[in-house]
Amino acid sequence: MNMTKTFITTCVGIASLLFAFAVNAQTTNLPPPLSIQILSQNTLSGVAGDFVTVRGQIMNTGATTLNDVTTYLSLVDTGTKLPVDLEDWSAEKGLYMGSIDAKQILPLSWKIHFVKAGTYSLIIVAEAASNQIPQVSTITHFDVAVKKNLNPGQVLPVALGTPIIILFLLFVLSYRKKVDE
Amino acid sequence: MYFHIWQKEIKGELYTWKSMLWLLISSLLFSVTSYLLLTNKELSLLDQTELLWLLGKVIIGVALLIVTVDASSVITTEFEKETAESIFLSPVSLADFILGKLLSSLTLWLAIFAVSIPYILVTSAGSHLAIPFLAYITFLGTLGVLGFVLLVFAISLFFRSSKNTLTTSLIILLGLSIPAVFSTTLKNDVASQIISRVNPIDNIFSSLDNVLVDYHVSLLQNWQFIVPLIAFCLLAFILLLFAMHQFQRQGVIRSE
Repeated sequence: MNMTKTFITTCVGIASLLFAFAVNAQTTNLPPPLSIQILSQNTLSGVAGDFVTVRGQIMNTGATTLNDVTTYLSLVDTGTKLPVDLEDWSAEKGLYMGSIDAKQILPLSWKIHFVKAGTYSLIIVAEAASNQIPQVSTITHFDVAVKKNLNPGQVLPVALGTPIIILFLLFVLSYRKKVDE
Repeated sequence: MYFHIWQKEIKGELYTWKSMLWLLISSLLFSVTSYLLLTNKELSLLDQTELLWLLGKVIIGVALLIVTVDASSVITTEFEKETAESIFLSPVSLADFILGKLLSSLTLWLAIFAVSIPYILVTSAGSHLAIPFLAYITFLGTLGVLGFVLLVFAISLFFRSSKNTLTTSLIILLGLSIPAVFSTTLKNDVASQIISRVNPIDNIFSSLDNVLVDYHVSLLQNWQFIVPLIAFCLLAFILLLFAMHQFQRQGVIRSE
């Protein structure tokens, strides 16, 4: 009887251990075997309002297919040391890659709109469903210069002058009519 | 004879406080738009070509609205003030009458265009787009205004009432303007694309986009927008001919 109890307890213990291993194997505490390579320049410069394209590629360096891979951007203002809301910067904040076969390489591309002057650092983050820790790329630096308005010095005289000239013509017209009458 | 009608119209309609006030209002609208586009922090982030396109749409939109409102009353007031009878008793043909009125409406468009020139020049400074911008605003604006004026004149001869003509014309103008300002993502289905192809206002805006944003400045590169505009003018002209025929059949005093 005791032998049976010991056998059952051992079996349950082994089963629990196997289950725990299986669960652990599905979501490991290691980053996924992905390599993110930035193909565009390390530092992208421009004036606020300009568009740049961040290009890269993602490769599954592992021996098995990775499922549910998602890549997204993380942008930090290096001046204020605060993360930046990508709302106006990029229409596509994340790219869902789906499954990536072993040794398969997929392209990555983001069109970025420089919204505000300053210096920023951008990384591409990739996460897979089976891994608790994401994989990150190297940093791309943004150097955004202040946008000088096109010609605010010239628009004001035109914006004010034209209606004033028309108003003046109106008064001349009115005066001439009165004189004629 | 049409020249005298045009002269009379210029003196009586255009060369007055009322018409000059239209020009003042359009100039104020252009001032606010161009000032905001060039100095407002968010708006000035727009690419200069998109900024010019936006200003072009405002110029054409304001001109079409003002000319449509003016054209809605230019013929009908002759019926409402009962001056039409005396005009047609004099040796003035209906064609001369219409041509004179048409020239006066086109003169109003030219006056609005003249007001817009300083704004076009100041906003396109440094972009090498000033000349294509001016040329296409003149060309597309004239075609658009011509089509609308012919259409409004036809409606005027049918209704012979300012109120009905103005209401119908504004509904048509609004009906064509609203889909024209929709973004391209809202024009993905076949029906929207067909409407977009035949809508004269859409064609004006698309051609301006083609010239200013994509820098396709030759007429050959814009034929797909210009042909529907010319077709619209021809259709409006045919409708006007039909309205003139009906008018001559019914006479100046219509028996209701």
